[in-house]
Parts: sequence; structure tokens; C-alpha cells
Amino acid sequence: MSFGLRGKERIRLGVIYVLCAIVLVWALAPIYWVAVSSISTRRELYSQPYKVWFPSEPTFESYHTIFTQGAKFRDGSFSPTAHLMSAGLRNSVIISVGSAAIVTLLATGAGYAFARMRFRGKNAIFLLIMLMLPLPIWVSLIALFFIMSRLELVDTLLGLVLIFVTLLLPLAVWMMTTFVRDIPSEIQDAARVDGADRWRILYSIVLPLARPGMVAVFLVAMLTTWNNFLIPLIFSRSDDSQPLTIVLTLFIGQYEVAWEDMSAAAVVTMLPPFLMALFFQRYLVRGLTMGAVK
Amino acid sequence: MKSSARRLLSSDSRYVIVVLTPIVLLIALFIYYPAVDTFGASLTNRNLRIRRPPKAVGLDNYVKLVQDDEFWEVTGRSFKVVLITLPLEMAVAFGIAMLLNQRFPGRGLVRTLAILPWMLPGVVNGFLWGWLLNGEYGALNGFLYQFGLISEYQYWLREPDHQLFWVCVVQTWTRYAFPTIILLAGLQSIPDDLFDAAKVDGANAPQRVRYITLPLLLPSFGIALVVEFIAAFQIFDVVWTLTAGGSAGGAMNPFTKTLMLYNYELVFRDLRIGLGAALSYIILVMSLAVGVIFVMRVYNQGVQEQ
Repeated sequence: MSFGLRGKERIRLGVIYVLCAIVLVWALAPIYWVAVSSISTRRELYSQPYKVWFPSEPTFESYHTIFTQGAKFRDGSFSPTAHLMSAGLRNSVIISVGSAAIVTLLATGAGYAFARMRFRGKNAIFLLIMLMLPLPIWVSLIALFFIMSRLELVDTLLGLVLIFVTLLLPLAVWMMTTFVRDIPSEIQDAARVDGADRWRILYSIVLPLARPGMVAVFLVAMLTTWNNFLIPLIFSRSDDSQPLTIVLTLFIGQYEVAWEDMSAAAVVTMLPPFLMALFFQRYLVRGLTMGAVK
Repeated sequence: MKSSARRLLSSDSRYVIVVLTPIVLLIALFIYYPAVDTFGASLTNRNLRIRRPPKAVGLDNYVKLVQDDEFWEVTGRSFKVVLITLPLEMAVAFGIAMLLNQRFPGRGLVRTLAILPWMLPGVVNGFLWGWLLNGEYGALNGFLYQFGLISEYQYWLREPDHQLFWVCVVQTWTRYAFPTIILLAGLQSIPDDLFDAAKVDGANAPQRVRYITLPLLLPSFGIALVVEFIAAFQIFDVVWTLTAGGSAGGAMNPFTKTLMLYNYELVFRDLRIGLGAALSYIILVMSLAVGVIFVMRVYNQGVQEQ
């Protein structure tokens, strides 16, 4: 009897693992293939009809090429876009880390105000911020382009950071408000009675306890900014401010750029989000679903 | 002077002002003011290609769009993307959510890996699949060939109809993780006794899914559908790298031109600001309207079923 049960359980697990394998192939195969492409030699990558599913002599040459010479055209010459990748990497890092840091700070201060204080206009301001969340930002972007060009902020890192901070604010403020509300308020109340002002309470009592929330906001903000394409497509013009998502499309646009080079560029572009998704998924899922569901 | 001003405001008010002013300013200047400004532009014939001061034209731009064949073609295409993507996405998400709702060793790891594509940049996803589907060297061709499923390499992205279908597949791949998470949360909130009771009453597995799981998941499906409708309706990044073919300033591929791409083209390529602004408001109204109708219908159905 017990043997029969165990046999049944074994079949159940067997079926489950087969299904898991199918799911994982669906989810990971495209990622695997681009990673393999980026470290393949040209001869193996273009082999057909039989493909080489793992390179016999892995090479990092494509990475070296795109970072030092610009992408290689199929005829062997190099695109005149040397250092596009290094500039893109630098810009991506500055924009995403900068936006995430600023939005986290702003949202923490505001989150404390919305969660724990009473003031005139509180509900109105909260509504004003949150109304942005369901509205497609596209209607704002058209006129915003002309505002930014009047402010001479087109094609600058500062301009992009300001836009991303603004777009991230509603979700960040809302997340931080919920996080601060979940912190027990007894210690804060006691500190108030002892005469501590709001800055002091925020700094020495709320911040240490709100750290997981701040990490979540920071990570979500960084991921969304890093992955974004539409904003820099409109507001970037040159390697002064173009992030990697744009650089990748520039390579793809140049028809004759070698696939192994484009693959290497794609891997570099997706590596930070990939690692974040692998190691900080709990934080990210919480923030990203909150934003969509409310 | 300064200290008297300080005394006028309590320390609490000063905190609120310092903390909220930058936020309110940014949102007012970067979101609300331009939104109004865009609407204003939609009532003019502003066009940066033509050197003349823009003139107020009332609702002409909206009328022009509604009478334009290309507008309806593009709108139809966007709805087609929605109608193909949503069922595909929900089916994939429901299947994976049911699987991840089982208990088995390694479930956490599978879950982590299964929702990875969602966190990657959309432009990368478009590129990944474009390379996978490549007619000369693509991995899909190699894979199918090696298993004897095709006898020669196919150009998967050559036919216009196929292009749109693959756009939907890649959109599904990019987005299915979100409905999966929502449905999984819904599944986990269904109490086990319901299934036990149904089992005692002799309901088989498909019946239990049909009469317990699906009705109880209806609210989760509703949320997922609304969010995914907006995502599919305003699809942009994935198309850009998969089939748009207009990256280097060349002409955009007309066969996968959806509403957002059309709008981008009107404003930032053709510089027809007035017309593009009008279109952006039409997209806004359509998104909100369909969203609201959707929520109402799903909600009503949910009420009736109970």
C-alpha cells in the first residue's frame, strides 16, 4: 500500500518535472541562445543546417570588439561608432543609479509625511501624485519634448534623470507610504513626546526600519530605468546621453553588423536586469506588481 | 528676518514643505502641464516642417484622423495584437501558475527562472527573438531541422501576417510573468477544503478546474487582463527591434505599425505635432475606455456567477 502511494507520488513528480523543463525551455532558450552566440566563433555561429549548441572554443572577442572598436560589419570593416558601448554603459549606469537614488530619497521623506502626519491638502496632493499612475505618460511626452528643449535639457543626463525621477515618483511614494505605515508607531510617538522633530525621527527611527522598503524602491526604480527605451529614444541625440538600450538598436539598425557583436551588445544590455532578477526577485516582484495592481 | 519666518511656520509644516515641494513641482512641470499643453497643440495645425505660425483649427485634427484610412488600419492592427496576445498570454500564465501551485522540491528556483523574461529590456527581447527566428542562421530553424520537423530553413518573419503573429508571441514572452504571478496568488488563496469537498462529491480534475478554480480566479484574471491590455495596446519596444526596421531613421515597416509606433512617427519623424498630439489623446481615451468596459464586464460576470 505504502509502496503504491510512493509510486504514485513518483509519477506525479515525474510529470511535474517534465512540465517544468518545458516551461524553462520556453523562458530561457532565447536568453541561452544569445549568450552562446556572443561567445561563439563566427564559423560555428553561422553553421547550417546543423547548429552548434555550445561553442567548442568559447571566445570573448565580440565583447572586446564592441567596447574598443565599435561593431564589426560583415565585410570586416568597423562601424564608425567606436566607444558607443562604453559611453552607453556609462550613461545607463548614471541614469539608472542616479534616478533610483533620488527617487528613493524623495519618496522616503514623502512617504513618512503621508503615512504619519496630518496636514492641509494631504489627500489632494496624494491624489495628484497617484493619478499619474494609470495615465499613459505618452500625452505628456510630446509637449515635454519642447519644454526640455527650451530648458536645454535635451540630450543631457540631467534631463533624463529628471524625467525618470518624475515618472517613478507615484509608485515610489506609494510604496514608501505603505512601508512606513507598516512600521509600528510607538517609538516614533515616544520620540515626539521627548521633543524630537520630524527630521530626527525620520533619520534615526524610521530610516533603519524602512530599509527593506527603500531597497525595494531603489531596485524597482533602477530596473525600470535601465530597461526603458522610449524616453531616451525621444530625449537622447548622441553618445552624450544615449543608454545601452539605444546603442543596441543602433547596432541592429546597421544591417550588416555581425550577429555575434549584436549578441554581445544584447548580453551587456540585459546582464544587470538579469542578475537583479536572479538575486533580488522578491523585492522586484513586490514592487512591480504593486505598481500594476495598486 | 529669517528666524521670524521660521517661527511663523511650525517645524512640522516646514518638514512637509521641504519634502513635498520638489515632488509637486516635478509632477506639475513634467506631467500635468505638458499633458495640457499637448491637448492645446492638438487643437492647432502645428507642423515643424512648414514655416508658419501654428493656427487654431478646433477639432480638425481629430476629424482628419477619424477620416483617415491609415488611422483605422493602424488601430485595427493594435486591436489585433491585443486579441492574439491576451488569450495566448493568459493560457501560458494559467498553465504555469497551475504548475507552480503544486508542491515539489525546487519550486522556488523554477519560479525565479520562469519569470525572468519579464525583467529584461523589451528592446533586448525583440532582438533575441529576431535572431532566434532569423531565416538564414536562426536557432529555431536549426532546432526544428535537427528534429526533422522542417526539411529546409524557413523565413519566419517574411510574410506580413506572420510578422504580426510573432510580435504577439514576443509580447507574450515578455509579459506572461505578470499574469502568472497574479494568478498564482489567486490560486494560493483558494482554500483546500473546497477541492476536498468537491473530490468527496465525485468531481474529477477537469470539473474541479472548471467549477472551482476558474470562477474563483475571475477577479485575478480581471486584473491581469486590464494590465496586459494596456501593455499590448501600447506595444512599442518589442516591435521596434523585432520588425519595425526603422532604427537608423529609415522608413518604418508598415506591416507591424501599431498605434504607438504610428504616433511616434507622426510626431518625431514627420513633425506633425498637431495631428500627433490629437492621436495621443485618442489613444488615451481608447485605453481608458476599453479598460473601464473590461473591468465592468468582468466584474458583472463575477457578480452573476456567485
